Amino acid sequence: MDERFLENLRREPRPEFAATLRDKLRSQESRSVAWRHGRTRALAFAAAAVIAVSLFALPSVRASATAMLDMFRVRKFAVVQFDESRLEKLRSLKDERAFLIFDRKEVHREPGPARYMASLEAAEAEAGLKAARLTYIPTGLIPDSIYVEGAGEARFAVSETKLREALDLLDLRDVSVPPGLEGQWVDVRKPPVVIQTFKSARGNEVGLMQAMSPEVALPPGLDLARLAEVGLRILGLDQGEARRIAQATDWRSTLLVPVPMNASTFRQVTIHGQPGLLVTMENGKRNGSVVLWTENDRVFALRTTLGSTVAVQMAESVQ
Amino acid sequence: MANESMTMSRLWTWAIPVTEENWDALYAEQLPRVYNFFRFRVGNDALAEDLTSLTFEKAWRARARYRRDVAAFGTWLYVIARNVAVDHFRQRRPHVALEEAAEIPGGDTPEQLAERRSDAELLGRLVAQLPPREAELLALRYGAGLTNRSIARMTGLTESNVGTILHRTIKGLRADWPEGA
Repeated sequence: MDERFLENLRREPRPEFAATLRDKLRSQESRSVAWRHGRTRALAFAAAAVIAVSLFALPSVRASATAMLDMFRVRKFAVVQFDESRLEKLRSLKDERAFLIFDRKEVHREPGPARYMASLEAAEAEAGLKAARLTYIPTGLIPDSIYVEGAGEARFAVSETKLREALDLLDLRDVSVPPGLEGQWVDVRKPPVVIQTFKSARGNEVGLMQAMSPEVALPPGLDLARLAEVGLRILGLDQGEARRIAQATDWRSTLLVPVPMNASTFRQVTIHGQPGLLVTMENGKRNGSVVLWTENDRVFALRTTLGSTVAVQMAESVQ
Repeated sequence: MANESMTMSRLWTWAIPVTEENWDALYAEQLPRVYNFFRFRVGNDALAEDLTSLTFEKAWRARARYRRDVAAFGTWLYVIARNVAVDHFRQRRPHVALEEAAEIPGGDTPEQLAERRSDAELLGRLVAQLPPREAELLALRYGAGLTNRSIARMTGLTESNVGTILHRTIKGLRADWPEGA
């Protein structure tokens, strides 16, 4: 016996097996794509919301070399409804232009690929986070996967020119860009995220994500309300509404969750006595609910295909 | 905004579908490797198929997060495969079921055993007696066809350590291999 002997023991999988598995993956694919779309559109909690936050937080005054004092942390959530066609437009813009409002990026820490963990304890060790547990898991759901997404740190330099161009492309001629933005840096720190998923034989899914709040560090002295107004206009709100929301919101602690009109409902819920947000998609294959809440500096998101009542019950059971 | 959205999106895994051609190619490339990893690891073709399915299903559900880095997905696939194997051995009953025991060729000489088993099955039996680390390295190297360097990165061992362990393992297997098999 030698190396060649061992290598010769390899065998191609049976074609029937390969084909059956591929079909099975494809069928899961169609379900998960529907779910992903629902998640993407319902939440925008991920990219769109945070992009919106950082967009709102564009520095309007000179950066002090020593003082990046204004810090955004998630404490609560607010919903803004937007026209889905605007999000499509933004997506196409970003594909065409790569950078919409930033022209430089420095990555100080790459999150790297998500890591699949054998247990929640292992995920805790990986993330450096004592993970909360779901104490209510509906019958039929079984643990599926546990992942940790690593910490990431990056900073972005604002390009006033590009922001103006973007406003032009969106035909927002009446929006004025606050002066002094050019070259200002926005620092983003993303803590590790622990993600648990559950599934049932009937195709239902639950995902619980938890992390310390992400942080966006900004130069001090920003007129956040004014910048928020620009961001809201980009999301498609009219001038009056954008101004009203911009003035009424604490942009240092509120994560804006854009939800598409006509495709979702949302309402405030209470999780462990804290205000949370429930977003429910009721649009054919995109059905699903997401509960967002914060607790002790930690941000939670629970998504499920099991309906909003179960979503809230499960969120309440997180300990 | 693509670059900043890439970072931002990782906050909560904003899944974007990947080009399907990439995944089809990845599937075609990795399926035989993962399947043979399990064949070497568990020594049973049917079980290897089950564990391969489980690995791909777990990986497939989360593959959107590797949209921009298919190579990272390939590496990650083996992380899942290794964990699936660990779970399998952990969950396996410590005793041998009667129906399985009936198939154990008690009292067979090595020569008789060799006659009854194919080389792969025989190897599976010998690998099952190896320590988990040696069995895993063997499966990664000769089943999945990974290089010593890749295995070293994956396991945290040094490349030379991987080579040394494999060399010793093959030597041990050779010593246990029935003559004429």
